[in-house]
Formats: sequence, structure tokens, C-alpha cells
Amino acid sequence: MKRSYLGVLALSAVLMLNIVFTQMVVHQYYYENYAITILYACVNILLFPIAILIYKKEKNRGGGNGYEK
Amino acid sequence: MNDRNNKIPFDEDNYTHNINRNNERLLDRRGFMKTLAGAAGVFAVSTLPWGAVAAKELLGLGDKEYPHQKIADVKDIAVGDSVKFHFPSEHDSAILIRLSENKYVAYQNACTHLRCPVYWVKEEKEMICPCHHGKFDASTGVPTAGPPRRPLPGIEVKVEGGAIFAVRVKRYEA
Ligand code: FES
Repeated sequence: MKRSYLGVLALSAVLMLNIVFTQMVVHQYYYENYAITILYACVNILLFPIAILIYKKEKNRGGGNGYEK
Repeated sequence: MNDRNNKIPFDEDNYTHNINRNNERLLDRRGFMKTLAGAAGVFAVSTLPWGAVAAKELLGLGDKEYPHQKIADVKDIAVGDSVKFHFPSEHDSAILIRLSENKYVAYQNACTHLRCPVYWVKEEKEMICPCHHGKFDASTGVPTAGPPRRPLPGIEVKVEGGAIFAVRVKRYEA
């Protein structure tokens, strides 16, 4: 039985970035750098499909006896 | 069923024989990853309004002119005194300070830390936030102590015919 934590780690990293970018969005908004606000907001939104992709790729990896496919 | 239990070990025909508790598989690795991906979705959705409001500001709705608003009569406010008012909408509390004979400054007085109302302390010539003792320089609005990092948004004022008017909210110089 071999475990794969890659997906969990990658998703945690994505979530960390989410937190960072959300913080940036709020701060840049109050600094009135609106273009940068939108940029960070877009990055934050793009992280979601990335998270889904990682999940799709990793959900059947590791921890498996091969019976769940 | 019964005849089965008599033969030990019986053939396994499923792979759930080692699950003892209900919902045991709810927070396995896959379920956990599902939660993480869902959380990423929540973050994505929650940044949308910020992006939308920023886009609105970018499209030029930002530098809006508000109708000039009378704050107080010059004769009613002594040097070193302050008045509270609301500008540009009645939900944006603001403060006007008469620093000298001809020098007036006005700021939106929601603290840039967590939005407590900042007030003017005449004796110390500083604006102080009661919540976490943030301090702001009265002539510029720049934070001088405590948790706030951003200056208070300034309000442009003008004196006309013995009264003081609020003209517009100044923008940050980036
Ligand atoms: S809210 Fe003003 S210092 Fe925290």
C-alpha cells in the first residue's frame, strides 16, 4: 500500500495562494490600485479550475488496492 | 447468511468489510481533497465582488463629483476644533479640523485598520483611533502609530462666503 500525498500537498498550496491573493485583492482595492486588484482577483479565480484539475488527476492515486477506479 | 457464517473464512464479495463506523470514508484522502478544491471555489467566488467594484472604479465611475456639501459656518468653528459630518453619503462619517486660521483639513474618519471612527484630540494635535490606538497625522492623514498602514482618505474642502464646503474625496497618490 503506497500512499500519495502529492494531491493533498498541491491543493494545500493552491489554497495558500488563494488566501494570499485574497488578502492582496482587498489591500490593493483600498490602495485604489484597481487594475492590480482585478489582476489578483483573476488569479484567484483561475486557481479554482487548477484545484479541480489537481483533484481530478489525483483522486485515484495512492492508497489504493486498485479496486476503486 | 447463516451457512456463510459457519464457513470461516468465507469468500469476500465486497471490500467494505473493514469499515466499522458509519461515514468512515467521509474524510479519507479523496474527501479531503474534495473539500480543498471546494474551498478554492469559495475563494474564487468571494473575490468576484472585489473585482467587480474595482472594474467599476476603473471605468471612470471612480472620480465622481458629489454635490458640494456645506459642513459648517466658519464662525462656528474655532481654531483647533473639529466637526463631524457625513460625506459623500450619509454612511461615510467624516471629520473636519481647523488647524489654523485658514487651514482646514477633512478626512473620512473610518480608521484604515478596522474602520473604527477616528477622532481629533485637540491637546495632542493628533487624530486617534480608540479601538487599537492608531494615530494619524492631522495635516496629512498619514498613520503615525498603531496598526493602521494606509492614510485616511482626505476630503477636499473650500471656504466660500463664510462657510466650509466639502468638495470631493481625494484619491490616493499611488
Ligand atoms: S480600528 Fe483603528 S486602530 Fe484598529
